[in-house]
Amino acid sequence: MSRAPDGRAARSRRSAIDLIVAVLRWMHAVWLRLRAWRRISFTAGGLIFTLGAFAVGFAAMNTGNNLLYLLLGTMLGFITVSSWLSEQAIRGLRFERRQPRVITVGQPMRLTYRVRNLKKWLPSLAVEIIEQGLPERAFLSHVKANGSAEAQSTNSFVRRGIYPLGTVTLSTSFPFGMFLKQRDVQIPGEVVVWPRTDRLVRAPTPGGGRVPRLGISSRGSAGTTGEYRSLRAYRVGDDPRDIHWRSSARLREPVIREYERDGAETRWICLDTRSEPTDAAEVAVEVAASLAARAIRETRPVALVVGDVVIEPGEGPGQLERILDLLARVDFSPSSRAPAPPLDPASCILVCVEGGSGYGDVLAVGTDATLDIEEAA
Amino acid sequence: MNLRLLHRRLAVAMGLTGLIAFAGGAGFEPISASLAALALLTALFWHPDPVLSVRMERVFLPIAALLLTRALFVFLSAGDVVIPVVDLLLLLLTAEALRSLDAPNDVRLYALSFALILASTAYRPGIVFLIGFVAYIGFSTLALMVGHLRREAESHGIREVPLGRPLVLTMGGLAGVILMVAFVVFVAFPRVSQGWAGRGETLATSIAGFSDQVSLGQFGSTILGNPQIVLRVEFPDGLPEDVASLHWRGRSYDRFDGIRWMRSRSLPPSALPRFYRDRWDSPLIEQKIFAAPLDVRVLFALHPVIDIEADNGIQPLFDNAGDHLYWGSSAPVYTALSRAQPPAADSLRSAEGYTPRARHFTQQPNDLDPHIAALADSLTAGIDNRYDQVVAIQRYLQSFEYTRELPATARETSLDHFLFERQAGHCEYFSTALAVMLRTLGIQTRNVNGFLGGEWSEFGDYLVVTQNAAHSWVEVWFAGYGWVMFDPTPAGTGSGEQLTSWFWPGRLLFDGLQHRWSKWVLDYTVEDQTGIFARWSEMFGSRTREITDGSTEDSGRRPLGGALLLLLLGVGILWARRGGRAITPATRAYLQLREACVRAGVGVTPGLTPLALVKLVQERRVAAGRATERIVDLYLRARYGQETLGESELREMSEALGLARKTLRAKP
Repeated sequence: MSRAPDGRAARSRRSAIDLIVAVLRWMHAVWLRLRAWRRISFTAGGLIFTLGAFAVGFAAMNTGNNLLYLLLGTMLGFITVSSWLSEQAIRGLRFERRQPRVITVGQPMRLTYRVRNLKKWLPSLAVEIIEQGLPERAFLSHVKANGSAEAQSTNSFVRRGIYPLGTVTLSTSFPFGMFLKQRDVQIPGEVVVWPRTDRLVRAPTPGGGRVPRLGISSRGSAGTTGEYRSLRAYRVGDDPRDIHWRSSARLREPVIREYERDGAETRWICLDTRSEPTDAAEVAVEVAASLAARAIRETRPVALVVGDVVIEPGEGPGQLERILDLLARVDFSPSSRAPAPPLDPASCILVCVEGGSGYGDVLAVGTDATLDIEEAA
Repeated sequence: MNLRLLHRRLAVAMGLTGLIAFAGGAGFEPISASLAALALLTALFWHPDPVLSVRMERVFLPIAALLLTRALFVFLSAGDVVIPVVDLLLLLLTAEALRSLDAPNDVRLYALSFALILASTAYRPGIVFLIGFVAYIGFSTLALMVGHLRREAESHGIREVPLGRPLVLTMGGLAGVILMVAFVVFVAFPRVSQGWAGRGETLATSIAGFSDQVSLGQFGSTILGNPQIVLRVEFPDGLPEDVASLHWRGRSYDRFDGIRWMRSRSLPPSALPRFYRDRWDSPLIEQKIFAAPLDVRVLFALHPVIDIEADNGIQPLFDNAGDHLYWGSSAPVYTALSRAQPPAADSLRSAEGYTPRARHFTQQPNDLDPHIAALADSLTAGIDNRYDQVVAIQRYLQSFEYTRELPATARETSLDHFLFERQAGHCEYFSTALAVMLRTLGIQTRNVNGFLGGEWSEFGDYLVVTQNAAHSWVEVWFAGYGWVMFDPTPAGTGSGEQLTSWFWPGRLLFDGLQHRWSKWVLDYTVEDQTGIFARWSEMFGSRTREITDGSTEDSGRRPLGGALLLLLLGVGILWARRGGRAITPATRAYLQLREACVRAGVGVTPGLTPLALVKLVQERRVAAGRATERIVDLYLRARYGQETLGESELREMSEALGLARKTLRAKP
């Protein structure tokens, strides 16, 4: 008998707490929605102006001077019009963002915003477009009513990776520069930032290797020169001159001729991601990317192995893209899997942070490697 | 025109209109104001290059230092510091306006012109202030906008921002909106203190017209007219029929030395206003009077005044001469209540009661010509009552000719020359003659100065009384009724005669504007405010009806404002409940999961991918790993896989989110 009341009291206490938490959460959600909907803050000039209005109002009430009331009303009128116009500047705008799919670390990335003003009468002026997480802003000087305009911002990234683009903030202090009004717009997107491929790396030894596996030619890998091998579907980056038009017409999709390459030329790059995600790890990624880029420049087939993931040998810009795409996404962690190349590791080049054995060549960057460009070990 | 030039011109225009507004009623030195205006006009069209601008600064700085020193000196010697400070302001404004276009001095220009406007409020500026103020608002709206666009364009490396005519017109229209808001705030903002009198209008130099003495000694010219307005009188109960005969009583005089009327120092107390309230039974006439400040602090009103109530900061006084004066520095605004008509002739004929024994009101000059007394006797022979005696002499004088031409020589200025030879003169001769002749009969009289009549202003809805209407008449004591007014000057002359010119109708219009400005802006009080609100509440609010027992009941509509408030509240609630359309439920859930991870200190970085987040959570908060994985899986399918999640999946996501939050909150 004595336990039941305690249990009920505890339950009712818990449900009261849950209710309070739910209400607070709801208020917080409303607040966040309000903030995303509109944020207003003072500029320095606006703060001085508002304080001045208070001072004038105080003086008016103190002295009863009717002209001060008139002045107070005028200042409040400026604040009202400023608030209304700044709202008009950022509402009724439809956005499209164009961004490059990929860029490389250090290269400028231009984001283009195409803005359409849906308002019938009022233009939008002096609107800043701020991409969340990026420092540089785009600026729309003027979009006439029912018109459109473009604005660009240029940013660059210092690290590779996948950067989600989401929240775009429209910000304006039009017309008088007194108040900063902001509004968030969600435009999902992402940018893939490839690692650099211009790191100076010594020429690896030997690098070639055959792939004695079912389904893969023992003589070598597919390439763009050599003896005819087979037809395959066109991939981005393939030479359009290799398109086999007759087969493409028949199959109703572009296919290209694939040629045999000498297997000894294929460069197998294995990236060991079993380390902490430090600058040294990034350097290792850049080394791998630079090796791949060099192989492509040498018109040599190249393949990449990261953990269990294998990018089969290939050549040409398309292959480099695939390799760089993977390298942009790899994560380092001490518990990552070791690279598992489908051939003898002695035929592969290991790129790692600390060192390894059993590979044809090992390029260890060292734990104190930094992201400045220098020749790797 | 590029933005920079346009902005500079607008800012200079702000300064110019600020100067006009200040000049519209405040005192300032004409030289400095003219120089400043000239410099500002120059700045509209010419700007020095940076090198010349620097050289000019070297000229302005010492002058500014000098003016500052002057202002400090005046301040320390407890003098009027406003003019020196305004001179310094004008110099600084000039200096800023004449800088090169590159100079980043927008804020200083704004501040200096605003300071001029602020300084104007210390005065009682006229309608010119309003014109300048409205223009100032228009220019400042444009200037602030153009300045902002210019700064934004420069900071983003954009050369030009197209400013079309529609935008400029829109901003001009918005200046009107600003003025409307100013109007609403002005009308509605509660007045919680007494009005400040301000520094008062600048006193006009004394011109011919009303003055604090009556003298017959002038000769050799004509009395010039003076159209300066001295009184503006509103009649709340309606305009009296005979405007021309309205005598606006000012000052009275009891002692005449043959040339000049004066006031004796020790006069016995005159009959108080309540004496007339009790003894005279004619209707009351209410006058709301807006007077210009004169050299003499007199409250003019129709005689006899029953009550005077100040409507601004003045303090009404009543002296032994029976004159209404005031104490205070501002132009008096007051409401007077007077008896409209004197007692009937029969009542005056049979007047009995107290008569002042003091000899002040029967005093005669020592060298008075005996023919004057003889004339008075002959005119009143056979008349045994005071009233008829007064009327007889008055009628005789009214047969003379009125003229503003003064006597040609000093000899001809005497009263006897007026009575026996010239028989023509202005009002002071007539009033002096009547007063003196009645005194020779032992009748108590006093000479009164004031104004006669006025001109009705249709636009302003008030009576305009100018200096032209300055007049003299006589008051005669009647026992039981007090002082009764008699005017011996021939009727229809001098009173309504306005020496108007071709611009007089325009001037009346201008004065009407000026009057409305003074009444509804400068002297707007809490009583005016409550009156307006009472009228508005009659329009929109409840009606009252009187029940039979005399109490009232509020029977009417609820205020419109209450309904409006409820409507706004409802819209607000609906909006708050409406979901955001930009974020899908799956994305929202994922973002909430990220927030929960951030709060739990999991170590989420901005660039962390969803899968990396899962891995992180699995490593650091194992218990939340599965729920996190499920949420991310559904999120990726919805966002990148273009799948539309069904209700069950969304519910699953929501439950997983709840579980993830709970386990993340728990200690690891």
